[in-house]
Amino acid sequence: MAIADTSTLHRKLTGRTGLHPVWLAAFAGLLCAAPLLAVVWLGMSGAWSDYLIHIANTRLAEFLINTAIVGLTAALLAGVIGTGTAWLVTRHVFPGRNLFQWMLALPLAMPAYAAAYGWYDLTQGAGPLGGLVPAVHGPFGAGAIFGLVFYPYVYLLARESFSAQSADAYDAARTLGCSPFQAFARTALPMVRPAIAAGLALVVMEALADYGTVSHLGAPTLTVALMRAWAGEGSIPDAARLAMLLVSISFLIFMAERALRRRARQTAASGHVRAFRRQRLSPLAGMLAVLACLLPVLMGLVIPAARLGWRAAYTPAATGLMDAAVNSLTLAGVSGLLAAGIGLGLAYAIRTRKLAGRASARIASMGYGVPGAVAALGVLIIFGGVQGWLDTLWRGMTGSPFPLVLTGSALALIFAYQARFIAAAIGPSESALSRVTPSLDAAARTLGARPLTLARRVHWPLVSSGVALAGLLVFVEVLKELPATMILRPFNMNTLAVTAHNFAADERLGQAALPAVLLVAAALPAMIWIARRITATERSRDTVPPSEAIPGLAE
Amino acid sequence: MSDRLRLCVIGALCASLGLAACGQPEQDSVVNVFSARHYASDQEVFRAFTEETGIEINLVEADGDLLIERVRADGERSPADVIITVDAGRLHRAEQAGLFQPVDNLGGMLDRVPDSLVHPDNLWFGFATRARVIVYARDRVDPSEVQTYADLARPEFEGRVCVRSSSNVYNQSLVAGMIAEDGSEAAESFARGIAQNLARTPQGGDTDQIRAVAAGECDVAIVNHYYLGRLMNAEDSADRAVGEAVGIIFPDQGQGGTYVNISGAGLAANAPNPEAARALLAFLLSERAQRAFAELTNEFPADPSVSYDNTVLEGFAGFEARDMNVNALGENGAEAQRIFDRVGWP
Repeated sequence: MAIADTSTLHRKLTGRTGLHPVWLAAFAGLLCAAPLLAVVWLGMSGAWSDYLIHIANTRLAEFLINTAIVGLTAALLAGVIGTGTAWLVTRHVFPGRNLFQWMLALPLAMPAYAAAYGWYDLTQGAGPLGGLVPAVHGPFGAGAIFGLVFYPYVYLLARESFSAQSADAYDAARTLGCSPFQAFARTALPMVRPAIAAGLALVVMEALADYGTVSHLGAPTLTVALMRAWAGEGSIPDAARLAMLLVSISFLIFMAERALRRRARQTAASGHVRAFRRQRLSPLAGMLAVLACLLPVLMGLVIPAARLGWRAAYTPAATGLMDAAVNSLTLAGVSGLLAAGIGLGLAYAIRTRKLAGRASARIASMGYGVPGAVAALGVLIIFGGVQGWLDTLWRGMTGSPFPLVLTGSALALIFAYQARFIAAAIGPSESALSRVTPSLDAAARTLGARPLTLARRVHWPLVSSGVALAGLLVFVEVLKELPATMILRPFNMNTLAVTAHNFAADERLGQAALPAVLLVAAALPAMIWIARRITATERSRDTVPPSEAIPGLAE
Repeated sequence: MSDRLRLCVIGALCASLGLAACGQPEQDSVVNVFSARHYASDQEVFRAFTEETGIEINLVEADGDLLIERVRADGERSPADVIITVDAGRLHRAEQAGLFQPVDNLGGMLDRVPDSLVHPDNLWFGFATRARVIVYARDRVDPSEVQTYADLARPEFEGRVCVRSSSNVYNQSLVAGMIAEDGSEAAESFARGIAQNLARTPQGGDTDQIRAVAAGECDVAIVNHYYLGRLMNAEDSADRAVGEAVGIIFPDQGQGGTYVNISGAGLAANAPNPEAARALLAFLLSERAQRAFAELTNEFPADPSVSYDNTVLEGFAGFEARDMNVNALGENGAEAQRIFDRVGWP
């Protein structure tokens, strides 16, 4: 059993360090969860006003209905586009397939609010498409925008999972007379269900936590209620309580995802991986496939970016963009690497089935479902508290207060990013680890692999693309992040996302265009690298005889 | 290689420690600004300030509510010297959180600003103003029909009014002003009338409302004046055409005056560089800065005597502004939002 086996690994490590590694992971998880816990504490201890009663009596139903519509529309669209395109590019040969492999991921780099501003500007009555297509607004419009910019979560996770899948079941189904689609639906799809569920969970939480898009498109969700409690009513504790409601919704989504994953455990492929052969599509089907892959990229990225860019032609360019780009890339790179490590650690912690590990990973993930501004507020509370404590300590020792290092430093930012986005790193690692089946561990142990060898030679080749993916997701998230970056950054430091937002928020779409496009360009090399990595593992698998598909075991 | 790496790490650590300490060695050679504005005019003003005084400016720009929380979390140790926001409501919130200390009259500079734009205890002041105005379709609306805010709430305008969401602070401050002037009931009946007359679910920003009027989606809209000024001054001829298709009305002339809001600033309670901060606050009211706000941001200078080179803005100027202290906008903001919730102005 995996349980028995990984705990052997842990026993070995424990023997060496005197500390069970799950506690290390749990500590990292709790650190990431700290800002959210601070918000919860604020909600519990803060003064009660009658604002929640007022909301319940007036607009709560509207907020809830909008939240449901936005979340479901986004999930449906992202699920269909993400799964469909992943299936197309992993299992079929058609013109431009290699290009689409990474291009399909690009809309993720487009901030949702920027896509919303672009689409709204195009389709509103006064826009060039006004009257020709329905204006993108309201809860369905906002859900559609989220589906178009967040489907890459599902696409990336599903593609990674599809390409790691053995062809056995699919081929068997085809041999038994299933059509390609039936075989897909009955064998391939159930096996990638955990990946799709993990992707959808991220999509829905992103959609629920968004403020900029839903407020611009007139689709007030619970997040709008929360920001009204904070900004309009001036009651931060009430905002914290509404954040707790959002967190509970995220929690339910996670539970649903867990349930799916648990069922999928039984159906997961064995360690035996036989490479599938890609199906060559007929010219007509090939054209349709190209269209199916092209449309999401056009609608999620090219069209809204082009609209912003068109407006840019009439406005002076923003200045200081090079510095902003360097800052963005540095912060995102460091945070992505760090998150990939923490995410893998927490994914292992979940796998140990120890309560401490699982609970801390779950709590750490919850930060993803709250609006960025609330997460930033949590970080401020934590830092305010720790700074006060350091001051007291330092004053006792030296007589002067400790330098103010926590807020307004790169350290603060990187901590805030981990707290906010660690869920995006846990999901892919966990999904990849689910491929490491109990029987695989058992086989390796039977063949005499020691625990560390097991992790390095059996687990790592299977999970490395998932870990890289985790790093990439956090990298892109950090590139786009706004509220925490704005409020915690050092003096005079700009990022591309902040620059784009500042202009867009002031209704100067033209000047927001260049930083927004640079944001996408900044994400490009990382996306291409990841795509190549994943295809490279595929290629190597193609050439290796099935019995040696798992490196190391044949020795 | 590894030596260089080590050097980098040490350097980074020192830098992050030094960051907090900077500004201390030479007294008041810098001023730390926390601003919720991000306009080209401000960059210009800050650059001019450094040029004239030699005082460097450290800048953090973030949205108003988070800005307040940041200064509050840093407490006594906050590096903030000057806090700038774009709405009297935010200034009120910051003042309630105890983030400001009173300024004297800044060497006489504050006397140039009308009393209505200055906090009663000099905790903050407005350095530029923006009016909440009505724009109407020139070809479909007789301007004599829309001379007051209340006109838009009349049944004749059912299905003809565009305005952005009530989550926006500009709308909150407008109704907050009405609460202060005419009482809650009058404000609520205005808001109810607008909610009933909406041509579409509130969406987009103020510029989008103006575009909607020009495109015929609605006949009248409530917006801040500088968005129209920006369109009329735009390089894009299509934008200028939008600006020409609509007319502007400064409501309530002779009936109390148009509601105005401010871009305002104050001296942070724990300012580490108070002298430099006062110098910057005074500079915001200097002729050079006031001109920049008028010419680059299309805002009205707080000092009415300042002249500027902006024909469009000059065309707007000279209206009667509401003679109420803008502090009231902040005091009544929360009640305004509850009114919106009750009347169904989304």
